[in-house]
Amino acid sequence: MPFMALQGIRVLEIATGIAGPFCAKMLADYGAEVIKVEQPRRGDPSRHSGSLPQQEGNIEKSALFLHLNTNKKGVTLDLESSAGQDLFRGLVADSQILIESFTPGAMASMGLGFAALKLLRPDLVMTSVTPFGQTGPHKDYQFTELTIFAAGGAMYREGGPEREPLKYGGEMAQYYAGVAAASVTTAASFKAYMTGRGEWIDISIQECMAGHPHQSGRRAPFAYSGDQDIRTRPRSPGGEGRETYAVGTFRCKGGYVSFLPLGPRMWPNLTRMIDQPGLTEELRFSTPEDRGSNKDELEGIFQHWFDAHTSEEVLTAAQREGLPCGPVLTTDQVLTNEHFRDREFFVDIIHPDAGTLAYTGPPFRLSDVPRGEDRPAPRLGQHNGEVFSEILGMTDQELDQLRGQEVI
Amino acid sequence: MTADAPYELPLAGVRALEVAEIWAGPYCGALLGDLGAQVIKVESLQRLARGPLNPRPGTAGYPDKEPGQRPWNRSANFNALNRNKLSITLDLASPEGLECFKDLVAVSDIVFSNYAFGVVDRLGIDYETLRRIKPDLLMVLMPGYGNTGPYKRYRSMGMTIDAVTGHSALRGYPDEDLSRLSLVHHADAVAGLTASFAICAALHYRARTGKGQFIDLSQAEAFMPHMGEIFLEYGLTGLLRERRGNRHPLMAPHGCYPSLGDDRWVTIAVRDEEEWQAFCQVLQMPDLVVDARFSTLAQRLENRDALDEIVAGWTSARDRYQAAQEMQARGIPAGPVLNCGADTYDDPHLQAREYFQEVNHPDAGTHLLSGPIWKLDGAPGPLHQPAPCLGQDNNYILGRVLGLSDEALNSLEEKSVIGTVPLEGADMGGVRRIQRAN
Repeated sequence: MPFMALQGIRVLEIATGIAGPFCAKMLADYGAEVIKVEQPRRGDPSRHSGSLPQQEGNIEKSALFLHLNTNKKGVTLDLESSAGQDLFRGLVADSQILIESFTPGAMASMGLGFAALKLLRPDLVMTSVTPFGQTGPHKDYQFTELTIFAAGGAMYREGGPEREPLKYGGEMAQYYAGVAAASVTTAASFKAYMTGRGEWIDISIQECMAGHPHQSGRRAPFAYSGDQDIRTRPRSPGGEGRETYAVGTFRCKGGYVSFLPLGPRMWPNLTRMIDQPGLTEELRFSTPEDRGSNKDELEGIFQHWFDAHTSEEVLTAAQREGLPCGPVLTTDQVLTNEHFRDREFFVDIIHPDAGTLAYTGPPFRLSDVPRGEDRPAPRLGQHNGEVFSEILGMTDQELDQLRGQEVI
Repeated sequence: MTADAPYELPLAGVRALEVAEIWAGPYCGALLGDLGAQVIKVESLQRLARGPLNPRPGTAGYPDKEPGQRPWNRSANFNALNRNKLSITLDLASPEGLECFKDLVAVSDIVFSNYAFGVVDRLGIDYETLRRIKPDLLMVLMPGYGNTGPYKRYRSMGMTIDAVTGHSALRGYPDEDLSRLSLVHHADAVAGLTASFAICAALHYRARTGKGQFIDLSQAEAFMPHMGEIFLEYGLTGLLRERRGNRHPLMAPHGCYPSLGDDRWVTIAVRDEEEWQAFCQVLQMPDLVVDARFSTLAQRLENRDALDEIVAGWTSARDRYQAAQEMQARGIPAGPVLNCGADTYDDPHLQAREYFQEVNHPDAGTHLLSGPIWKLDGAPGPLHQPAPCLGQDNNYILGRVLGLSDEALNSLEEKSVIGTVPLEGADMGGVRRIQRAN
């Protein structure tokens, strides 16, 4: 059930890929009226892409499209026709926010650049979400998650030093940029509401990842003292964390756990967790340096204990001692995890073609706003009649004519 | 305001109090500062969260590896994460410190914290208490698992959230055991960024209704929508997605390949048949187009080990930018793998966009640091105030904003409620211990 904090804000989305549509999804999931504009016939490319496109050839059953477009209305519009452009201008004039992801300059070449659109309404907030931003030598570069993730600085660090760098799972760079776009768009919309002044926002996915705290935070040591970022394995001599024998992911009975003690002061807690408090008396483990020198032996002691305990048992013992720990869960296990169930995080949404599925719920909860009803992603052109008649005041006859000309 | 009034950043005039440490909370504060809010970082002399109090000379991450007289003002990591903020110190465990904090809440819009569940209650700065002082306050608490539920007291770090949300099981080399996974704390960053959106949305709502809000943000829940389609895939098919590494089920070639130089790499992704034809031309290997092993996508996927070897042979002889440029000239996605230090600084595109900002810090010197992650058309240029020195704004905030007399400020300083030098032991979990933040 969406939290209707942005109720009354109309958002026009003419974006493809993940970052732009996810930005608009966040606004929609928090109550904005988002009108998604797709091209007639084929629709948003995400109806045909992702790793599970078009179940049984049905463009309404793409997992990626279903996820990215909850709580939105959907219209179709041929932006290459002048009739389509006129309709688009009409919608812009009645919207507070526009989110687009065209190649830099493409909107302007259709007469729909920010300079032209702000004449329609000076308080318009327009957010352009592209891989490399609106300017610079790479602005027209093609991209996929793999190539843009690599350009942002996070990939180089992932994996082993003896092997090639690795991307994260999924489409993390694009989602991340989508949240950045949602944040600054909402801030600009707040300002537009207060002052009447609009804004054009330029989001580069590369910069969002380059400015990610783990990149900017590790860039600073290079700037300050020339320290280079390196790819290391956990529990290797160059690995992160001072109690390195107990850092990272461990095999345990029937699964894996992720484990990250907070530093030397947690050493007694670690020994209590594995029921061997006597280890604190051992001379060869008495200082962090000693434990570092005898890392392999300690890792063996911990692994022996992990092997005898399930991830649930490890979690309970670790949390009893105040040690950050989490079981490595697979997608199905996340869906049935007792904590997420207790918080009713996943929500069932019924879609006429895809049926009832468990969707990820709200990323945060607001204590004091009304709740709305969750709606599934729109079918292609589902809200043409409603949007064009209610907002632009078109008659059924005019709508039929546009359909005939394949403008909508 | 008229259209020709001077430009103001979106959150100009908004005041936020940051009670936060490590990554998620401070990053949220930096973003609000980038947006123009006045962000006051509330720190203490009793508990230093800026790194060790007495690091040895030669320690990495300080200017020229020299921690200096005031190492807490010279930490690279801290300074990068705390741009565009003010700093005050307050011992919240003392009655005087708590009173100052509450007086500050009365003239602020937002309080946010990433402390573990229960800490703000123990400090006496929970939402119920603070809303009595400031009825339309926005308050965000963002423990790893949120503020309700069976795990709410569980300690977490970005890496453990990565595991519980399902991301750890989706990454790593497919041919390796999960125990070899590198440490990924992406969930921290997502939480801080999502909190900034939550605050902007709640400010928007408050502007139209006058209503404040408590915001319950679970770092795990903020992260899971970034894998939303993967949960739906499971729902639609009942099959779990396999670990893919750099590979893609519907693209080949799709990978990270060695290029000229030491530990240098280039990524290439061929999306469709047309790009495959162009790719073969770029490689100048006409035999490849007619090679039966690669004639369809299905075959390229089937034989991708052999294909990757051929691609690597071509990339190995080329500079990573040159290889990417040759692909991009034919519309094929490709790009160098950049490390977050030297490589991003040298990247011609980031340079052309003036992404990095020269920052002059009074205690740490002048360096080129990361700019904001968005560009605003109307803004005269990104603002980048250096991270504050510990307690540098005590006089301004407590004296000018709250109106405390010099006498009162001196008295607070004598009692170590405020100051600019941390107390001995402040870096060992705090003179008075409180639970560590996520």
